[in-house]
Amino acid sequence: MEKLTPQQIDRLYTYLLQSGLTGELFTELLDHLVCEVEHYMWIGLPFEAAMHKTLMEANAESVQKLRKIYQRELTLADDQLAEASLDDILFQFRNKSYGAYAMRQSYNRTLVYALFGALGLGLMMIAFLHLISQKTWSYWSPWGMIWIAGVAAVSVAVVMYFLKQERWQTVPDGEDEL
Amino acid sequence: MEPVSSEFLRGTLKTIVLKLLSEQDKMYGYQITQAVKERTKGELTLTFGALYPVLHKLEQEGLLITESVEVEGRLRKYYSLTDSGNEVALQKISEFERFVDYMQQLFQTPPSIAYGH
Repeated sequence: MEKLTPQQIDRLYTYLLQSGLTGELFTELLDHLVCEVEHYMWIGLPFEAAMHKTLMEANAESVQKLRKIYQRELTLADDQLAEASLDDILFQFRNKSYGAYAMRQSYNRTLVYALFGALGLGLMMIAFLHLISQKTWSYWSPWGMIWIAGVAAVSVAVVMYFLKQERWQTVPDGEDEL
Repeated sequence: MEPVSSEFLRGTLKTIVLKLLSEQDKMYGYQITQAVKERTKGELTLTFGALYPVLHKLEQEGLLITESVEVEGRLRKYYSLTDSGNEVALQKISEFERFVDYMQQLFQTPPSIAYGH
């Protein structure tokens, strides 16, 4: 079977690029077209003729049509769409498992823990500054209470963050079924 | 010939793809179009514009899984049936065979009987 040279493949590549395809469909169609050109060359056509014949079928119009079909038919079904978050829509044809999807999913929770932690640190700081200025310390004073509340808030935030993080990592596998 | 067959093809594309995949371990897009061409001796042709939306729709429905393999420096995407895909394939194939049966009965009935005099 005839094999295309990298330069010849590059011409198909440029052609597809110009027709505005992106993503997974791009690599798939490239492979398809290369196979087709190789097939025509195998049955005896020279490269130019094989390429011409292939691109007659895969003309700009049919590639555009294909893109439209994708936009129309492969978007989420209505009931899925009702439940889907912005992230689901955004990541519909994208790779969910490499991390960005999980990070976006957990963003709100992370933000709450971070605020909690910062608040706790603030309380601890206030109590600590008070200790420095007064040079006396008792847990049974309002300042002592503030210190304890600060420590509690920070530890809750840190513990929750790590507990939840383990769960987030299992998210991508389950969501892939969507 | 061409426009007529593509009209009928549209409704059966899913079944064709499922049928072909149920006979093979895994196939890639071009291979599927070639298989259709070979089996029908060139009478039916699947265009890529018709095939890939169906493949991706089936993938989205969880009937197919894909696997990308590097072949000669480019990525080739292989499709294979999942468990539920296998079930649906069997069901679709038998459904379609029944449909073809009915169509034959319908078309072979002599006109005199068809109008029930």
